[in-house]
Amino acid sequence: MMSTPTLKSPPGTTTAAPSVRTQPARRQRSTAERLIAPLFLAPTVIGMAIFTIVPILGSILLAFFRWDIISAPEFVGFSNFADIVSDPTVRVSFLNTILFVVVSVTLQLGISMALAVAIQGRMPNWLRVFFRSAFFFPLILSAASVSIFMGYLFNEQFGVVNWLLSLIGIPAVPWLTTSGGAAAVVVLVYVWQNFGFSFLLFIGGLASIPKELHEASALDGATGWRQFTNVTLPLLSPTVLVASVMAIISALQVFDQPYVLTRGGPGDSTRTAVMVIFESAFQQLEFGRASAIGLVLMMLIMAITALQFRLSRRFVFYQ
Amino acid sequence: MRSTHPPGQENPLLSRTGDLSRRALLGALGIGAVGATVGAWPRLTGTDIPGRNSTSLNVAILGTSADAAARQALVDEFTSLHPDIPVRIQAIQGADWRDFFSKILTMVAAGNPPDVVYVATEGAQLFADKLAEPLDAYVTRDTADIQEYFQDVHPSLIEAFMYRGSLYQLPLDWNAANMYLNTSALQRAGLDRPADNWTHEDFTAVMRAMKSTTDGSFTPYYWTNRLFGGVVPWLYANDTSFLTEEKAAGGEWLWDRFYAADPTRAQRSGGYLWEAPNAESPRVIETFDYLRELVAEGLGVRPEGGGGNALVGLFASSRIGATPAGGYWVQGLNEAGMGADDFDVQFFPRWRTQRHQFGAAGYAIMRTAKDKDAAWEWVKFCASKPAMELAFPTPNTTPTRRSMVNRSFYATTGPEHWKVFYDTLDRFPTSGPIPAPPQQAAVESALMKNVSVAVSGSSAQVRSAMGSLQRDLELALRSK
Repeated sequence: MMSTPTLKSPPGTTTAAPSVRTQPARRQRSTAERLIAPLFLAPTVIGMAIFTIVPILGSILLAFFRWDIISAPEFVGFSNFADIVSDPTVRVSFLNTILFVVVSVTLQLGISMALAVAIQGRMPNWLRVFFRSAFFFPLILSAASVSIFMGYLFNEQFGVVNWLLSLIGIPAVPWLTTSGGAAAVVVLVYVWQNFGFSFLLFIGGLASIPKELHEASALDGATGWRQFTNVTLPLLSPTVLVASVMAIISALQVFDQPYVLTRGGPGDSTRTAVMVIFESAFQQLEFGRASAIGLVLMMLIMAITALQFRLSRRFVFYQ
Repeated sequence: MRSTHPPGQENPLLSRTGDLSRRALLGALGIGAVGATVGAWPRLTGTDIPGRNSTSLNVAILGTSADAAARQALVDEFTSLHPDIPVRIQAIQGADWRDFFSKILTMVAAGNPPDVVYVATEGAQLFADKLAEPLDAYVTRDTADIQEYFQDVHPSLIEAFMYRGSLYQLPLDWNAANMYLNTSALQRAGLDRPADNWTHEDFTAVMRAMKSTTDGSFTPYYWTNRLFGGVVPWLYANDTSFLTEEKAAGGEWLWDRFYAADPTRAQRSGGYLWEAPNAESPRVIETFDYLRELVAEGLGVRPEGGGGNALVGLFASSRIGATPAGGYWVQGLNEAGMGADDFDVQFFPRWRTQRHQFGAAGYAIMRTAKDKDAAWEWVKFCASKPAMELAFPTPNTTPTRRSMVNRSFYATTGPEHWKVFYDTLDRFPTSGPIPAPPQQAAVESALMKNVSVAVSGSSAQVRSAMGSLQRDLELALRSK
């Protein structure tokens, strides 16, 4: 860093003029700089305060009230929390959500990484562009529209999937009306629609790995799977961390696919935590209870994310 | 653009390199921010929200902007009669009534409630209990004007909108869960249209006959998992319900005034009450077990949640033999290419009774309405025959006025036995509305959640599902 030259005059001399000129100029510049930074930050800070911080605080407060929108809120202490602990539907929905996260995130990351590695291999550039676009395309579609469409495809009596299966002699599968089938379809639709984002992250991560490392490892005899596990994967680990954090947070908030495809059924087999929040608030008009469930979910997300970063110290390799 | 600066002098807005200076950039950003704030002020302050700060009578309906536009003739007619009451139809989209009510409640929470809402039976008690204004005083005051409406409308439909002795809506359209039959499926099975008093065992036999004469892509009985047309019509036919049905006292002011001579006057009440679960009663279990057997035998589908969006297309393409629905289906089937003879309708099968389930809808005045008198004028106008003829030009629902359900209404669409629609009420006057207490959303969720489990497994699974339903209903009904 270059040092700024300063003018220093011996005591009693008349060379103070330059410093008289420079001192206010520096003060003005620093004042302006002090103003500019908050000015540029202001829109984001105000936006976050209005749309994130205040609602979170409001939701925390609301968790201690009973409120149905229409009547005045009534303070109920920890009653909403006691209520959700004793409610089997809430317990099942959280369990479903965690199972969903485990299965869907594993599939999402596995598939997207495999495809990203495959696309980085030798193939014509136009084909690579085609695959990148095709894999990313589902992400830009509306989850509700995709789910409606998939609901038709997986209809037991009239769906295309069962028709295709019937061509090879497989009897109709009750995809959306049995617990296992419904859960499988929800995971499938979710992963199909969301793996494109992780795929894009992995493409970027793979591109940042120096080719020399692969060439050097190849010279040492490491190819294929060995090269992937010993060179590619360690160098891709920061991307894996980011992709997994984002995938887990997103999966913990899954709503659209199970809501449209199965409405949480059959029974509670595909009911998720966010669905229970929605149902408590907008169907049962128990906004305090919904806030309490939301608060528990937020704490769960924070705990899992903190755990991920904690584990990353051991498993993530930075170049 | 030509420079206005003298030659040789530097443009203060440009740096020596010709780029925009930081000061100019900040100034432009500042002006932009101020401009954007001014431009977006109505949105930032919420003053551009439709209906807010408006003197118009805001009428909310479930539907799209096309549905709102379709009511323009109605609005124009009303405006010609009441030029001092401007009306604005606000269409609110929703997947179903439950979704629509959620959005209305959100509007209430946002401080922007509509003045009048078109509410179906599913939400009648929610609105009556928390949001709507009773019509008793208006109906009493305008007896002379409204008398003719009551004379034309079956009392069962009115009773569905009574709540604890007060009337909250004038029903304008309604539908019973009758049984639609695909004529070609019947003919393939060598069957005629079943008799009016056919039983649930006859129904099973018809479904078996249909199945035996078709391939695997055909489903004899298609039903959906929801409050209307799902398991409830079977429960009613078996003289039971998953909620204990009681009737409130009161309502004499209306029955004695408008229905004193009606043969069913004695059975009329202050409205229905559903305050306790009844899911574990033997008849409820028996009914669910019957449906489970239909599914297990491949005669009926495992029901999915929702309104059965694909149902019209599937029925019109003869891939379904029978399904419960009301008069609202006629126009849709016609538009899907079914001729008047391609389908027919019959009463729901008899079990212990032949009591039918029905749903209806009408306008409710919100307690927060700016001008309740004006809102009542709209409600009263919409219940008049000329207005209902404007509102219901085609059979995509059943008008509540008996005089409108006639041969000419179904002349181009069929079905042949269109009389079944209104005869349902006359032949079976104990027919009841969708069981929808003020906690309807939670009740419907509980029902939907457990129906699919109950009918998809063994007989033992029915009992455990009913136990689960009972617990869920207790939770749903605990708060009000």
